[in-house]
Amino acid sequence: MEVDITGARILFDTPINLPILGQLRITETMVISWLVMLVVTGLCIWLTRNLKTENISKRQAVAEMLVEMANKFVVGNMGEKFRYFVPFVAALFATSMVSNLIGLVGLRSPTADLSTEMAWAITVFVLITAQKIKTNGLGGYLKDFTTPIPLLTPFNILGEVATPIGMAFRHFGNILSGLVINTLLYAALAVASSALLGLIPGAVGAVLSQIPILDVGIPAILSVYFDWVSGVLQAYIFCMLTVMFIANAAEG
Amino acid sequence: MSVQELVSFAPWNFIAQICNLLIQMYLIKRFLFKPVNAMLEKRQAMADAEIQDAIKAKDEAQAMKAEYEQNMKEARDKANEIMTTAQKTATAQSEEMIKEATQQAAAIKAKAESDIVQERRKAVNEIKDEIGGMAMEIAGKVIEREINEADHTKLIDDFIANVGEVS
Repeated sequence: MEVDITGARILFDTPINLPILGQLRITETMVISWLVMLVVTGLCIWLTRNLKTENISKRQAVAEMLVEMANKFVVGNMGEKFRYFVPFVAALFATSMVSNLIGLVGLRSPTADLSTEMAWAITVFVLITAQKIKTNGLGGYLKDFTTPIPLLTPFNILGEVATPIGMAFRHFGNILSGLVINTLLYAALAVASSALLGLIPGAVGAVLSQIPILDVGIPAILSVYFDWVSGVLQAYIFCMLTVMFIANAAEG
Repeated sequence: MSVQELVSFAPWNFIAQICNLLIQMYLIKRFLFKPVNAMLEKRQAMADAEIQDAIKAKDEAQAMKAEYEQNMKEARDKANEIMTTAQKTATAQSEEMIKEATQQAAAIKAKAESDIVQERRKAVNEIKDEIGGMAMEIAGKVIEREINEADHTKLIDDFIANVGEVS
């Protein structure tokens, strides 16, 4: 039996072809991202339907709790002056988490595509750099690379670039490893169930061995860690790093 | 169907995901934070109003209590004052009465004394006259002659004065 683990499928090619970017291809990553956005936005609309100031519904309690948590997370870690970052961090967390967990329903996680994490990490990197320039001025920002001695400049640049790359690969690696292990497990269990049911003699065994009966239930156990824990944890870590890096950048 | 490399960097995906993230940020802001924050602010305003009302009510209650206490104090003061005045008046009245009674008693006593003196004097005078008449009669009988009236009277008076001193 052959197991093939590939990147996101390319659904169709458009005729648009730009010099550096190459041909515009609508990929699985994009489409499922849009689905994730729909899910997140739909959830927001559903949660905030019919808000009241007193005698609130359970749904509203959840909405309030989410808002409070986001506020506490951002303001608690970054300070009151960064309150305007709340929607960004919330969007990052929600998108990341739903993207990770959407793998559970059999869709391919957009976070199992490095481009997704790179997009987020670069966005965060731009915010960090903007914050540094805002705090120290452009001169101060550039001068910071030559500290403590000018000789270390290349290493400082490397360290700076390592931030988004590290963030992106950490997240991507975790999700991809989950995907790979799940795929391998499904394949292995299919082989195992085929071998097991093949022991039944005659036509019954031949038919039953085609059904990967062991794939039902067993992968869910591993999925608890690789999809649920890892998915939520990586979203949390990514947001925590974002918040920390930007807050640090503001301190100069 | 063609696929991407497992670990690859696709520029269009990258751009799409940046756009998606920013759009998602707007959507989450518009559909989650805006309504919830608006509602929270409204609730905060309501809570503030409640607290303000409570503070106002408390102030009013305290003012009322202070007024009540003030009134009570005034009433008590007034009662005390009335009591004191009444006591004073009573004392003064009784003193007055006693004084008056004493005075009256003294007056009665003085009058009685003066009456006694007067009665006595009157009695003395009467006796004096009687004794004088008697003496004259006796003397006239004794010497059987008419003595000069003036000498006569003088003699009698001396005699009576002596009698008065003796008595």
